[in-house]
Amino acid sequence: MAFMELQQIDVCYDKKKKVLQGLDLSVEKGELVSLLGPSGCGKTTTLRVVAGFIEAENGKFILDGEEMTKVPVHKRNFGLVFQSYALFPHLSVYDNVAFGLRTRKMDKAVIDQKVNDILKVCGLTELASRFPKEMSGGQRQRVALARALVIEPKLLLLDEPLSNLDAKLRLTMRVEIKRLQKRLGITTLFVTHDQEECFSISDKVAIMNGGVIEQYDSPENIYKRPLTEFVARFIGFENFLEMTRTADGGYQSADGSVFEVEAECPQAPFLGTIRPDDIRIAGPDQQKNVLEGTVGVRTFLGKNYQYEVNTPAGILRVNMDAEHVFEEGERIRLSLPKDKMILIKKS
Amino acid sequence: MKKKNTGLTIYAAVVFAFLMIPLLIITVTAFGGGSAIVFPIDSFSLKWFAEVFSLKSFRRSFLTSLEVAFLATMIALLVGIPAAYVLARSSLKGKQLLKSVFLSPTIVPGIVIGFILYQFLVLSLRLPVLVSLLGGHFLVTLPYVIRVVGSAMEQFDFSIEEAAWSLGCPKQQAFFKVVLPNVTSGISSAFMLAFINSFNNIPVSMFLTGPGISTFPATLMNYIEYNYNPAVSAVSVLLMAATVIIMVIVDRTLGIASLAK
Amino acid sequence: MKKKSAWMMLAPGLLILLVCLAIPLCKVLIPTITAGSYPFSQYVEFLQDEYYQKIFLRTIRIAVITTVICMIGGIPTAYFISRCPKKWRGLLLAASIFPMMTNSVIRSFAWINILGSNGIINNFLKFAHIIERPMKLLYTDFSIIIGSVYLFLPLMIVTVTGVMENIDDDMMEAAQSLGADRLSAFMKVIFPMSLPGIIVGGTLVFTGTLTAYTTPQLLGGNSNMVLATLIYQRAMSVGDWNGASVVALVMIVVTLLVIKGLNAFAAKLDKRGA
Repeated sequence: MAFMELQQIDVCYDKKKKVLQGLDLSVEKGELVSLLGPSGCGKTTTLRVVAGFIEAENGKFILDGEEMTKVPVHKRNFGLVFQSYALFPHLSVYDNVAFGLRTRKMDKAVIDQKVNDILKVCGLTELASRFPKEMSGGQRQRVALARALVIEPKLLLLDEPLSNLDAKLRLTMRVEIKRLQKRLGITTLFVTHDQEECFSISDKVAIMNGGVIEQYDSPENIYKRPLTEFVARFIGFENFLEMTRTADGGYQSADGSVFEVEAECPQAPFLGTIRPDDIRIAGPDQQKNVLEGTVGVRTFLGKNYQYEVNTPAGILRVNMDAEHVFEEGERIRLSLPKDKMILIKKS
Repeated sequence: MKKKNTGLTIYAAVVFAFLMIPLLIITVTAFGGGSAIVFPIDSFSLKWFAEVFSLKSFRRSFLTSLEVAFLATMIALLVGIPAAYVLARSSLKGKQLLKSVFLSPTIVPGIVIGFILYQFLVLSLRLPVLVSLLGGHFLVTLPYVIRVVGSAMEQFDFSIEEAAWSLGCPKQQAFFKVVLPNVTSGISSAFMLAFINSFNNIPVSMFLTGPGISTFPATLMNYIEYNYNPAVSAVSVLLMAATVIIMVIVDRTLGIASLAK
Repeated sequence: MKKKSAWMMLAPGLLILLVCLAIPLCKVLIPTITAGSYPFSQYVEFLQDEYYQKIFLRTIRIAVITTVICMIGGIPTAYFISRCPKKWRGLLLAASIFPMMTNSVIRSFAWINILGSNGIINNFLKFAHIIERPMKLLYTDFSIIIGSVYLFLPLMIVTVTGVMENIDDDMMEAAQSLGADRLSAFMKVIFPMSLPGIIVGGTLVFTGTLTAYTTPQLLGGNSNMVLATLIYQRAMSVGDWNGASVVALVMIVVTLLVIKGLNAFAAKLDKRGA
């Protein structure tokens, strides 16, 4: 059994609407696992079930072989970092960080030692006597992290901790979180709706939609091989073509163009999907995996252009580098390489 | 499901029971048929309501109270709104001190206000009792206007007023056309609070009574001291019904929280 | 804004305040300071008089007890309201505001019905054969305190709810995740964070009880006088206008001291950063 297991968790807010449906998740010790999804997908609910703020209708939560389902929040010993940071405004940085240790009635000298250690690790030593309202967003973020870590939690739970920071600070903080997490070897659940942030930091990612996990894998695998239409759309596959299987084991799109695909899918109906970045201009004698079309709207993206290309199989979004510019109305032949194209089940 | 805290729910239920039950008991006793107040009632009757309407002193004092509360509130609004505007907007030195001057009636106990006004306005200046009563109730209502309208003014973004000036609107007109329309809900809740509190006030009016002039609560209080019968319950029910109606109207228009200031 | 027009807008209010408050106060109260064998001699006599001392201390005691009970009853209730779903919150707030909008004569009258010698409690106890003769519940300090709590508890609830509504759920959850159970999370986080509002509520309740007239008059009677009823009795029944003026100034001074003291305390808390 894994270090942390959620088994068949059901959560309803009112009688009718299920927020989580039979959710399973297992996390190995020391892993950083992200819950990724659009708002309302149940990722925060999942985190709150783990934290103990929400009681699941059904299902079990097991940590390190111990059933935690009914353990009250304050006895779980998990570190939480809130989106709002939730620093206590009436307490100084030092007192905020010491809060958890004091509720555990630890020895004063021990508390002092631990607080000072974690403040040093988080680079907050100078700010110990400040109050939350006297600090910047990034500093508050660090305090929230220090406060959660100082209790030496069995799990670290991060609820969109970076969403209130500006873009630059977000980059620095996510590296810092990763560094601290690896250094302390602490098992971590990280909730976010930002795909890039999530992929850069996580050992594994669970992509959630409508209260279920659609795919749970390493960021690399998810990036290369989404298993469902939802996941594909969520991680940037923008082109979808309906495909049928041909007699010789190949595939063809609605207009009859023939494709070879490496990443196959066991179940019909099929959708072929590909990122705008992966589409090329076809060579003159290429026959398979080719769609011909007319260039429509062109958008400048900085390092390249995006074109909408009208093909008989549908409109394709194509990113092409800025060296050669196609004009509106121009006919082009597009190649959808067989190692870049993926087949998924149409939902 | 979010976890519920049963202990706290029970605690709050007990507190609300404490707040509501005495008023419910009054309501029940108002419909009693006997000549004394008993709970539970032994027979049902509406006669005490008829009794209330037949009492001349109740009728007259009720009208006096409405009149005084309304006039005092109007004067307080007339005088208080410009003051609140200046206190919110200007850069006068000693603004804080001025504000506390305008709020100072709150630190003088009501009974003391009645007492000093009786001595000064009625006895020394020989002003009519009704005028003195108005003066006293003005002191009750002014702080509500200053506080509630003042906070509405402070929340108003004054760059909007500056925009009006820049569009060629004279300052006086801008005040009426731009500032006032944007603080109307503040003015309405100030009116409601001031009116209700003036109408209900007793201590200020205790000294300021004269021949034929007495406020409704003061009359009611005197009545209770000499007559202990269900007529008082019936009056209470009528007043509570009026309160409920006012609260429903306020809730529909301004939101119930506007009475929590 | 020009200085002149600003003063023009303040002038009417200031003028009425001058005529209706400042001048009457000075005219009535200053003579009480200068009269007698030496300045403030009347006040020294007032505070030395056993009868007045008793009333003064009773008034303070009732105000303190009422304030404490209102805090004990009001703070958890306010917290409950502030954590309710929105539609419930409006209803409960309305249920707290309703008594505030109801005349204090009515609210005191309610307790005459309950506490009187023929009141509900005595009748019930007699009916149940627990007592033979009615207990004296009305016209005691106890009845004044109950009546005052009934009068001011809604004010406490509404004031504190206003502050607690602005405290995010996250605060409680953060404290719990750090190992505090609900009670200690409340005591260590929610309570200190709402302390400024609790002090405001406490000040209103204390000064309100200290100066209330209706409730002690109806529920205390003539034998359990407080400062407010004493003024009226001195002036109207005894005709001792001078004595009433002395009591009036004592009330104002005590009110001011309490407000200033608690404000200073609240300001000190504010500096901590909340």
